[in-house]
Amino acid sequence: MNKENKIGARILKRIILFAVVMFLLSVVVFWMARLAPGDPLQSFYGDSLEMMTSEEIAAARTRLGLDQGIAVQYVKWLTNAVHGEFGLSLKYRQPVMNVIKPLIGNTLVLGGVAYVVIFTLAILIAIFCTLHEDQWIDRLICKIGTVAFYVPAFWLGVVLILIFSINLGWFPSSGAYDVGMADSIGNRIRHMVLPLVVMILSHLWYYAYMIRNKFLDEVRKDYVLLARAKGLSKRKILWKHCLRNVMPTIVSIMAVSVPHVTGGTVTVEAVFNYAGIGNLAVESAKYHDYNLLMVDVLITGFIVFLSSFIAQTVNEEIDPRMKDSEVRVW
Amino acid sequence: MVDNSMISEEELFQVVGPGWKTYEVQKRKKTFREKLKGKPVFSMILLLIVVLGCVFANLVANHDPSGFYLRNLNTPPGREFIFGTDSLGRDIYSLIWYGGRVSLVIGISGAAIITVIGVTYGCISGTAGPKVDSVLMRFTEMCGSIPTLLMILILSAVFQADDVISISVIIGITGWFALARIVRSEVRQIRNSDYVMYARLCGGGFGYVMYYHLIPNFVSAIMFVVISSVSSCITMESTLSFLGLGLPADVVSWGSMLSLANKALIMNTWWVIVIPGVFLVVTLMCITNVGSFVRSEVNNKYSNL
Repeated sequence: MNKENKIGARILKRIILFAVVMFLLSVVVFWMARLAPGDPLQSFYGDSLEMMTSEEIAAARTRLGLDQGIAVQYVKWLTNAVHGEFGLSLKYRQPVMNVIKPLIGNTLVLGGVAYVVIFTLAILIAIFCTLHEDQWIDRLICKIGTVAFYVPAFWLGVVLILIFSINLGWFPSSGAYDVGMADSIGNRIRHMVLPLVVMILSHLWYYAYMIRNKFLDEVRKDYVLLARAKGLSKRKILWKHCLRNVMPTIVSIMAVSVPHVTGGTVTVEAVFNYAGIGNLAVESAKYHDYNLLMVDVLITGFIVFLSSFIAQTVNEEIDPRMKDSEVRVW
Repeated sequence: MVDNSMISEEELFQVVGPGWKTYEVQKRKKTFREKLKGKPVFSMILLLIVVLGCVFANLVANHDPSGFYLRNLNTPPGREFIFGTDSLGRDIYSLIWYGGRVSLVIGISGAAIITVIGVTYGCISGTAGPKVDSVLMRFTEMCGSIPTLLMILILSAVFQADDVISISVIIGITGWFALARIVRSEVRQIRNSDYVMYARLCGGGFGYVMYYHLIPNFVSAIMFVVISSVSSCITMESTLSFLGLGLPADVVSWGSMLSLANKALIMNTWWVIVIPGVFLVVTLMCITNVGSFVRSEVNNKYSNL
């Protein structure tokens, strides 16, 4: 078998696994959503439910498909989902996709920008700390980083709002954009600054520290000594030689970190009342809008699985040693 | 270098008579200071103060934590109310000690649940055959790649968790995946050793082998994870309560105190936000410092096993 076929087969295997995982996730989430206490009719009709006769209630139950077994309901839901119909949000009383669609972009931008900035900064900090290993600046960065890591993200967000929006008035405290300013990019960026800072500060150190330790292992290898002996500068060795060797590890870390960063967006969006699917998940959990919550979780799961799937595939292609390796994401 | 020329050859090769004594190392008793060296004293003291303060909250607090001092809404920190009062007129100083009880209990019981599930699952997966093992590990990997907060959101919405026990159970059952993976890889390394086989041949069951042979071997590897899971449980609880999905505002914990932050932001009362948060962060850091010390300590102890 030639090499390309192997790559194709591996990717196909991945895609099948991906589909299986998504299917399992949807089964579990659907089952949990139906298990939930509280009558779905109650949240759908609200107070007008009490005015309805028992025949009307039974008719409504049949119409919404709530009188059938859970397996039947699931199959029905799945067939609709394949056609892009995910049911009604019980709180907003419109199709779930209509509620979620405008929000996905906001979350992707927030999470994506944070993700890129976190890892760019993490690599820069790691290289800087490696260059100055055990000097005061390295120790200082380590100390500050550890403190930053243990500050809960929501509290950091609230404190930043207190300082920068309430007392200094530099940045707005909530929302993704001001009313009527949805098209203004500048306005959106101003709203994104504080959430981004919280996302970055609360995740940066964890990854920077892992990468730093990896670099510290790497510079103790023999080829670095050789490179030093032939007269390369420290910076050049780190950037040209070590970074390449560490890169596969960084990509694995990036793959594993997707769920953490995505989970981070949930807290940050809720603190800043940022219009995204994370905030929506919190809201729908509060109001027991299970249909919306379910689709929300599925979409988040989809994004997470897809990104780690891509990262892992990329990783195997750039580093032949990773095949059949111990680093697995799922 | 040191005065080599001063020592004559006779002194170098001195013949030693019977009365000669070798130099004995004087074993000095370690002073208290030296004993404490290398231990996270500062963190331990702070942690002890926080824990004792929470346990004896009724002695430390100077106001009723459930009392609403309506004449003193949003009082800044001062003589009577040491850390001020919040928008409901509750005394923050007293609330912190009573709230710490709940936070610490959730942290410890959540960590206990994580440890029990993680260790058992890891041992089963580590000792099982390759097929069962890969299924079990795939399961943890799949669950581990769903953001924990989202999982907790679903669970707490579905099971209507709003008391201390159900919250710690929910936090516990969503947090053990990483621990199970570590335990499993440790068990893989020792499962084929002779003493495990001997114990099996002598008729030791799974529970016996796990308790007497497996756990003592990997306890050093998981100690840090176990202790830092206390702090991650506390963080999780406070995040949940802050979002309004955890404890209701009348069950006081550090997190539910911070859930009044929105009102405090409008009133611009910094002490309502900053003081409980500082307590939270300091406690988390102390727990981690002690945890990383225990890791090195336990490692020393068990390294020859």
